[in-house]
Formats: sequence, structure tokens, C-alpha cells
Amino acid sequence: MPILEEFRKVILNPSEFLSPGKSIGYMCNYVPEELIHAAGFTPVRLNAVESEGTSRGDMYFSTGNCSFPRRVLDKGLSGAYGFLDGIVFMNGCDHNRRLYDNWNYAQIQTPWTYLLFVPHSKTDASLNQYINELQKLINHIESIYKLKLSEQKIRDSIKLYQRKRNLLRNVSSFRGIKLSGTDFLMVMIATTVLPPDIACEKLDELIVELKNAPQIEKNLRVLVTGNCVEEIEHFEIIENIGANIVYDNICLGSRYFDRDISMEEEPVIALAEGYLRSPSCPRIMNDTEKRIELIKEAVKKYQVDAVIIEKLEFCSMMTGEGWIMSQEFRKEETPFLLLTRELYGGGKSQIRTRIQAFYEKVKNLK
Amino acid sequence: MIFCGIDIGSNTSKAVLLKNNHIISTALISGISNPSASAEKVFSAVLEKRDLKRHDISCVCATGYGRYEIIIADINKSEISCHGAGAFFSNSTIRTIIDIGGQDCKIICVDERGFVDDFVMNDKCAAGTGRSLEIMAQTLGLSVSELGYIAMKSSKSLPVSNKCSIFMELDVMQHLLNGEKTAQIARGITITTARRIAQLAGKLELRNNICISGGVSKNPAVCRDIQDILKLKLTKLNHDPQLMGAIGAAIFARNKEIVS
Repeated sequence: MPILEEFRKVILNPSEFLSPGKSIGYMCNYVPEELIHAAGFTPVRLNAVESEGTSRGDMYFSTGNCSFPRRVLDKGLSGAYGFLDGIVFMNGCDHNRRLYDNWNYAQIQTPWTYLLFVPHSKTDASLNQYINELQKLINHIESIYKLKLSEQKIRDSIKLYQRKRNLLRNVSSFRGIKLSGTDFLMVMIATTVLPPDIACEKLDELIVELKNAPQIEKNLRVLVTGNCVEEIEHFEIIENIGANIVYDNICLGSRYFDRDISMEEEPVIALAEGYLRSPSCPRIMNDTEKRIELIKEAVKKYQVDAVIIEKLEFCSMMTGEGWIMSQEFRKEETPFLLLTRELYGGGKSQIRTRIQAFYEKVKNLK
Repeated sequence: MIFCGIDIGSNTSKAVLLKNNHIISTALISGISNPSASAEKVFSAVLEKRDLKRHDISCVCATGYGRYEIIIADINKSEISCHGAGAFFSNSTIRTIIDIGGQDCKIICVDERGFVDDFVMNDKCAAGTGRSLEIMAQTLGLSVSELGYIAMKSSKSLPVSNKCSIFMELDVMQHLLNGEKTAQIARGITITTARRIAQLAGKLELRNNICISGGVSKNPAVCRDIQDILKLKLTKLNHDPQLMGAIGAAIFARNKEIVS
């Protein structure tokens, strides 16, 4: 499909698709892009795609830290994010929160940085706290750019981003039928970098192409869950051995687009509720049961044959979550594979063997 | 019909021919250049032994780390499935296979059909693999087989780290500098290797009968230490344990032909 090539180009050279001085970076799903967009900027999700290693990042992080922030810092030190006008970091986990310190300590040339505090639980108290923190972020943006983020501007951005999420949901429904999970991941990476109006245009085009596209080869139906999974090459390994990723439960996937923001409420409250109450990631400590229930439901809904649990080395969030999930899947007799790796960490042949043997085992069980 | 299984490992390449459910030829070569060239070489060797030509073979299945690069193969299967099928073919009472290869180690459980129903594989470092034993033997100035036999002679062992191969090597060098006896260091190495396997084994429920396959199966000291540490008795295979991957691949080549 020609449109997929356009998404690929965005991933390789994101700055070419962005207006100079009009982009603000952000970390993680709990930074509402709507607030950045309402200020007239394109929110650009920080990722480790096309990072060159961790040697520069390892001057500031220890190798006992998660490879995701180490790689993002390395990318920052290489100058790859020199086009950003500012960055909103977040306390996603302690490793990602530390990225904010190291980014500043290393004096990477970013005009401003901000650390958004997001509560680690889903309670009424944490919702109030989150509303306060979003208001602080609004104040910060308003003071830097000497502007006013009016309710109307925020509402307009909420509407646009809701449209983008709905389109992504639509595209996601083609997975396992006409679209590979690998290509969907590529679409996710590209559309979290592109200006949202352009992303929507391209997603519209993609949906038209998908409707006319031939069916892809039927294979084992796999669901991938984890956190900062963003490696296209890794998804290719998972699919090329004989599977279709038909659904996911990752940050650059369903956790991003399975979110609805109310247009009825006061916009900051609507954003806080929508972001905090949507499907969570393991950083939210009191929601494990619901998260696993969601995956179990997805396993049934998408007729999933097997689940791959992705855990990045040193991820304390997924260490506990992965273990609990394993116990639950064992009870349900859902075949699963717990893969512990480093992001872009190599060991391709070993990983391929484990995945292939897992598929062979799943087929034996059928 | 004749079926061929080729196992391209990190240290050796193996090939097996299967006819009427009997192994009619085997070949093993070491010194690997690239997977495809090694496959060609071992394939020619296994055919030559029975004066056969390529067109006599109905289906070739490749396994091992180089399985995707082998042009002569019709299909490929993971070495986990192949070691499971191979060991079950060799002795149908086998339900657990401890496979210690050149670059990784695995524990594989098979069902009453010889199909894999569970497995674990080392995912962090080389400690507990054939390559690690080779490095330790080199540090002691021995060959791998000498290391095994010398370790058998010692009832005492010296502590050697099982965290990673580099730490293992540092401990071995320190013992040498301290003038310790080679046999006691060697025993320390084989015990450490066995402990590493035991750690992996803890993640699965081992089912009797249990066997060991892969190149390290030929190291008597490691086998003895695995039995001691895991408190189990290894069951003998009726074929060369190093050929289990290739035998399993030949079985999958046969199964594929039957299905199609």
C-alpha cells in the first residue's frame, strides 16, 4: 500500500514533516497531547526509533536502567531532537522520570523542559491531583508563550484528537485481516509524531486503501502486551515466523487509542478523567486486575491463540505485572510467552528460536 | 522415501538420514564458516556415506541457529521442537530433555507424542553453555573433553561464579594465580555449569524420564554434577545425544511429507 511508505518516511525523518519551531516533545501516554496542540504546537512523542545505541546515554544512566530512556537520552545527546521547542517529561516510571534530570544535567539544547507529575493510582483523590497538575502544565505553557489556552481551543483539540483515536481504532480493526501488526505499529509511531490534522488525512487515506486491499495470509493470532514496545524489526520477527498480531495492549497501541474524552464536561476535567480512567499501563498501581481482565476479554474478542508478554530488562513495573499475568494466563490455559529483552538489544536468532518454538508448542496444543 | 535433518549449531553441524523410521546415515562436522556452506558440507557428507544423491532425498528440514539461511532445506523447525522429537524418537520414555548446546541451554518437556508442551531457554548470558565451557577449558590450557575427564578425578571443587562467563573466567584465573590444583578448578567449573542448568530447571516441572542432549552431554563431569545437584537420574538415549536436533529435524521432514 503506497500510503504505508509515507508513514515509513515520517518515522525515518520526522522533522521534515513538522513546521520549524512549532513542535513540543512529550513522554508517555499520560501527557495530554490536546493541551500542547491547543497552544498551537504539534505534540511529538519521544521514542527510541532510529537511535544509534546507548553509549552517550550510558554516561548519565547506569546500564542497570531500562534501555528505553537510555536510548531516548542517547538520541537527545546526538542532536536528533534539536528541532523541538520544548519537552514535557513525565514520571511514567522512575527510569523515565530520571530522564528529565539527565536531559537537563547533560544540557541538551532544548529551550525548555517540564516534568508533569501524574498520580500512580486511579482514585478520586488522584484524579483531583491530576487535574491540578494539568492546570500547572497549562500555566507553564501560557507563561512561556504569553498566550491563553482558552476552553474553546482545548475543546477544538480534544475533538481533533478524538477523531484521530477513532481513526486509529478503525485502522486497528483491519489487523489480522488486511493489515499486519508490524505495519500498524509503524502507523502508530508515525501518527504520534505528525501534526494531528495531517495524521487524520493520512489515516483516512489508509482506510480507503485497506478497504480495497487483499487479505493477508492467515496465521496464528497473537496478542502482544508490554510497555515501551516500539521496535518494528521485533514485530517483524514475531509475525514473519508465522503469526498475525491481531491486537495489542501496549502504550503505542490500544492504550493510546482506546480512550474517549468527553466533550460535555469542562475540558481540563474531561482530559484528566479520560486519561486517568482509560486502559492503564502498569505504572498505575491499583489497576492490575482490570488490566488483566481487559487482556482476557481481548483474547476472547479477537480469538487470540497466544499472548506474548514483552518485558524490558530492569522494568520493575512489568516484572510484577508479567508474573501476575503469567499466573492468570496459566489458570485460563491461555498459551503465553514471557520475553525479557533490551530495546533494540540484538540476540535476534535467540529471540527467533524462542518465538518459533513457542508457536510450534501452541500448534501442538491445538 | 528418505528424509534428511540438518542441524546447524554454533560449534558443529550435524545431518541425519531417515528411511522407514530408521537412521541410515549420520554426519557431524566442526569448524563452521557460514550456515549455508556448513549445511552443504554436512549434507554432502551424510549422502556420501550411503552413496546417495540429492535427488534421492524427499524432504530436508533444517534446524539450529542457522536454519533460516539454508537454501537446500524445504522447511525449518526450531531446535527446541527438534531436540524434543529427536530424543523421543531415540527413547520413547523420555519426557524431559536438557539440551546444552554451544550458545544456549534449554529444558524441553514433551508429551506422549514427542511434541513440545513446555520449554525454558537461557535468555541472559552464556554461562552454562558449551561456549562457556570452551572458554574455561582454554583458560586452563585444556581441551573441552580433557576438562570433563580431569574434573571427574576430583572430589573437591573450588568456587567459580555462575553469574556470567566473564566472572567465571576471572575466578578461574584467580585460582590459577593462587596455584590451585587444575582438577579442583575444573570440578568447580562443571559444578557451576550444572548449577546454572539447575536454575533454569527450577522454572519448569521436570517429568521423568529425563535425558541430556547437545554437545555438552559428552562431558561426563557436567552430566554427573547435573544428576547430583538436581537429584535425578539421567536416562540414556539410544543414539548419539549430539545428533538429537538433526534426528528431530529428519522426523519433521518425514511428517511434512506425510501431511502433504
